[in-house]
Amino acid sequence: MWGLTVDTQKDAKPSKQQPMTFIYRKCLTENEIISRDPIRCRECQYRIMYRKRTKTGGF
Amino acid sequence: MDVLAEEFGSLTPEQLAAPIPTVEEKWRLLPAFLKVKGLVKQHIDSFNYFINVEIKKIMKANEKVTSDADPMWYLKYLNIYVGLPDVEESFNVTRPVSPHECRLRDMTYSAPITVDIEYTRGSQRIIRNALPIGRMPIMLRSSNCVLTGKTPAEFAKLNECPLDPGGYFIVKGVEKVILIQEQLSKNRIIVEADRKGTVGASVTSSTHEKKSRTNMAVKQGRFYLRHNTLSEDIPIVIIFKAMGVESDQEIVQMIGTEEHVMAAFGPSLEECQKAQIFTQMQALKYIGNKVRRQRMWGGGPKKTKIEEARELLASTILTHVPVKEFNFRAKCIYTAVMVRRVILAQGDNKVDDRDYYGNKRLELAGQLLSLLFEDLFKKFNSEMKKIADQVIPKQRAAQFDVVKHMRQDQITNGMVNAISTGNWSLKRFKMDRQGVTQVLSRLSYISALGMMTRISSQFEKTRKVSGPRSLQPSQWGMLCPSDTPEGEACGLVKNLALMTHITTDMEDGPIVKLASNLGVEDVNLLCGEELSYPNVFLVFLNGNILGVIRDHKKLVNTFRLMRRAGYINEFVSISTNLTDRCVYISSDGGRLCRPYIIVKKQKPAVTNKHMEELAQGYRNFEDFLHESLVEYLDVNEENDCNIALYEHTINKDTTHLEIEPFTLLGVCAGLIPYPHHNQSPRNTYQCAMGKQAMGTIGYNQRNRIDTLMYLLAYPQKPMVKTKTIELIEFEKLPAGQNATVAVMSYSGYDIEDALVLNKASLDRGFGRCLVYKNAKCTLKRYTNQTFDKVMGPMLDAATRKPIWRHEILDADGICSPGEKVENKQVLVNKSMPTVTQIPLEGSNVPQQPQYKDVPITYKGATDSYIEKVMISSNAEDAFLIKMLLRQTRRPEIGDKFSSRHGQKGVCGLIVPQEDMPFCDSGICPDIIMNPHGFPSRMTVGKLIELLAGKAGVLDGRFHYGTAFGGSKVKDVCEDLVRHGYNYLGKDYVTSGITGEPLEAYIYFGPVYYQKLKHMVLDKMHARARGPRAVLTRQPTEGRSRDGGLRLGEMERDCLIGYGASMLLLERLMISSDAFEVDVCGQCGLLGYSGWCHYCKSSCHVSSLRIPYACKLLFQELQSMNIIPRLKLSKYNE
Repeated sequence: MWGLTVDTQKDAKPSKQQPMTFIYRKCLTENEIISRDPIRCRECQYRIMYRKRTKTGGF
Repeated sequence: MDVLAEEFGSLTPEQLAAPIPTVEEKWRLLPAFLKVKGLVKQHIDSFNYFINVEIKKIMKANEKVTSDADPMWYLKYLNIYVGLPDVEESFNVTRPVSPHECRLRDMTYSAPITVDIEYTRGSQRIIRNALPIGRMPIMLRSSNCVLTGKTPAEFAKLNECPLDPGGYFIVKGVEKVILIQEQLSKNRIIVEADRKGTVGASVTSSTHEKKSRTNMAVKQGRFYLRHNTLSEDIPIVIIFKAMGVESDQEIVQMIGTEEHVMAAFGPSLEECQKAQIFTQMQALKYIGNKVRRQRMWGGGPKKTKIEEARELLASTILTHVPVKEFNFRAKCIYTAVMVRRVILAQGDNKVDDRDYYGNKRLELAGQLLSLLFEDLFKKFNSEMKKIADQVIPKQRAAQFDVVKHMRQDQITNGMVNAISTGNWSLKRFKMDRQGVTQVLSRLSYISALGMMTRISSQFEKTRKVSGPRSLQPSQWGMLCPSDTPEGEACGLVKNLALMTHITTDMEDGPIVKLASNLGVEDVNLLCGEELSYPNVFLVFLNGNILGVIRDHKKLVNTFRLMRRAGYINEFVSISTNLTDRCVYISSDGGRLCRPYIIVKKQKPAVTNKHMEELAQGYRNFEDFLHESLVEYLDVNEENDCNIALYEHTINKDTTHLEIEPFTLLGVCAGLIPYPHHNQSPRNTYQCAMGKQAMGTIGYNQRNRIDTLMYLLAYPQKPMVKTKTIELIEFEKLPAGQNATVAVMSYSGYDIEDALVLNKASLDRGFGRCLVYKNAKCTLKRYTNQTFDKVMGPMLDAATRKPIWRHEILDADGICSPGEKVENKQVLVNKSMPTVTQIPLEGSNVPQQPQYKDVPITYKGATDSYIEKVMISSNAEDAFLIKMLLRQTRRPEIGDKFSSRHGQKGVCGLIVPQEDMPFCDSGICPDIIMNPHGFPSRMTVGKLIELLAGKAGVLDGRFHYGTAFGGSKVKDVCEDLVRHGYNYLGKDYVTSGITGEPLEAYIYFGPVYYQKLKHMVLDKMHARARGPRAVLTRQPTEGRSRDGGLRLGEMERDCLIGYGASMLLLERLMISSDAFEVDVCGQCGLLGYSGWCHYCKSSCHVSSLRIPYACKLLFQELQSMNIIPRLKLSKYNE
């Protein structure tokens, strides 16, 4: 029940094209990820990144 | 009086009157010991030995590769190294990697294996250094791991927990443990009786090259040698003659000249006489005819039967006894000793005990990996030889350069696959084992630690023999007597005790030399007669006969002195066996051993002064070993010693003193307070439950993205702790909370071990837990230049807002942290190209690739929150997106709790605090437990824990409940009285419902409670209509498939017994798999749409309802040429 499944059913509506992701890392630099470029921090060359917590600027 | 005079005569009156000195705080030796050995150190030691020593030996044994095509060509390995773990950043650029990065990125924590080689290219001889041949997964905290020698601060920097035991591997992002395997000792003679009671001997010989089993059997009073390369049993005398001992007298001399021994051997001599075999040649010819044909590959020069037999005797039978230049002397004597053992076992001597732990060896990660690596290395070399054979004859412009043909992936994949699947299949040793590795259980710190000490044995689980399952006296102090699972693996899966160490292999050359200096006479120089002299002892080294000794006591004593002085490795053991008249020296790996304090002249060598120095840090455990204050004993040597448990039990024969008695328990049993007051099965239950308790798993727990992780929101240290708890640092990573327990009855919702919980306690955070799950997704590239895409959220045409399913997605199509996810919402809106293969030539290729949606959706009964979204790349350079989902759960009715005494219970009722009883100081219990749980379980330890906990709370200190020690009940009770409480721990309690005092005093106090991972939320299941299985059209089975609730056979029986036929019909057919079939009344076969195909008519076809499974059965029977026919009749006729 509590797992994840791959849903193959098709929805009809078209969707927006994918923009870039802003993701945060420990050295606290923000990185832009351009699709299909290797993931790597510009500052520290680290390869693991995490997404920022808030979508909107916050308080 | 005489006995007393003998024992104490030599002592002066002052000495007699002096109290036996007790060593204060001897337990302090334990933390010192655990720093250097014990628990997971055996895994690490074994792996270190493999990558630093054994791997070089393997290389030496297979150092040369030659080719049949060119006699001048060769390749020789000069050296081999295992490097430090790294990852390939880009082509030929590597960077050191941390274990945590491997976990997150689903990579293997491995290091390159590099070799130095010398080879020929054309006529040149070339030396190349540091060529990679593959990658070796690295055990965490081993000598090549990046974590060794780091400080806790550096650990934190690497996102690693300093308390994590290490000793496991990270393969494809999964933590894998190679379990300790228990096996019968190799190269030892085991005399045993078979089912019919006939005695026989067997030896499993094992060397690097070969592994074989040789049996000695007795048939009608004659001795035979049995081996699977021989088509039938060979009379033993023929074997002797074939090995060059032609004279019957010499044979008998070797076996023994006692009257009964000769009488028992007589018939065997006679048989040989009858077979007309007198010379070595005749014997070899006889054996040669019995050799089983072996598939000959390579097809070397044809050997004659005699040569074949001689070769077989020299190398295959009793492989481990070395035969140099066909000098069979040692092997003859070995065979004679086997025969002698069998003869003696028929008389007074007993047969050997297979379950005796001295006859067992434990195989660790290092040994298993070395077997695997050797196999892969040989394969790698033969591959190169094959390539050389193929390439060299073809003349090319470039000369054959072997370096270009060294492929790394074979060894790498071999190692990774074996560890990740756990299948160890080595053709050379006919080894095919499944389940060697297991995923490291990270439910709690204890479950991870408990896994590292687990031993699995090779016995079949289904067999109904009790011998291997029962507790053996020789396991004392080596294996935990409590920690074993219940059910089928009971007694087969064991756990190491706290102080056990497992030896690794040692060099035996110096031992041989030393033994001969101590007066051991070489076997090759003996006539054979000496073996049976009453005062002559045989000396064995690792199962091989070294020689004989006349004064065995002196040998053993000097040997031990030398070992204590540090001239011999501390793990070499020597022991005498008086019934077999043997001295056994062992230096092989896999023996269990533990340290003891040496006792000299009735005084323990360790004194208070030493302990003080240890506490001040002037001394460490190694110093105790070097100064011969402490030594290691293995199981066999333990049998040779007199070990006192306490100082006051030391007498004149005592040789050693136990360090601390509680070390006989393992890690899991060590958590139990006052285990010596509990009924033993309760401790066993707790050992199993302690591993399911939620709590903390490591300092890095919030950085991990595991598939499943249970954490306690507010874990606490136990009020009543044990020495073991301190040693393994359970207090720093606890799993449980101190609940105030009232042992009383309350409502009817506490029967059958159910607990009543205080609602206010739950509000305050009692038993609150965090459940983390992960969701994963990779974006791959395909061979036809297409790739997976992540699409943005789909917008509603009218409102221009994302549709509900895509509500939590960010603009890039990946969910963002902090969002609440509901059932069926999308986490990653991934789409995949429909065509992923390279199109065939000529077929029309659509310019724009078509995509289909393959979103990652969340499925769960309750909502989750997104904790983290990680993005990275894995080893194949594909994008890897991992999401961590969190649920915070408060206890609810049906959740499982347990104390540390095997007393589990589910929550039966949650009561508001107003209705809870309270004691006169106003304390309300967190848990009300029914007193009926005590009488039958006899868990007195829990009662004492409550007392000690209560006293500890009042005094503001922790109490100890260490096994065979701990705070005394009397002292604890006095503490209670001091604070104005009842001596017995009972309190005056007022009912929260009526406000009247309860009629009895209530046993009231804190007990450490664990929340177990079984929660109703994960188990709840109901279904009305739902999916059905395709084949039978019956409802599916199991919660995970949204299955139906089964009306089983016993329930069916009830309905039959009651006669509720319509209900039966409804449950078993109508609500399940009812099916309309057309049956022909004439032929009784199934028809179709009102037509009988057999009768070619529709006259007699009638329609009826039967279960689909029944129709399926009929059709399956028909397909097997069995015709089931239905006989129809009207129900009213």
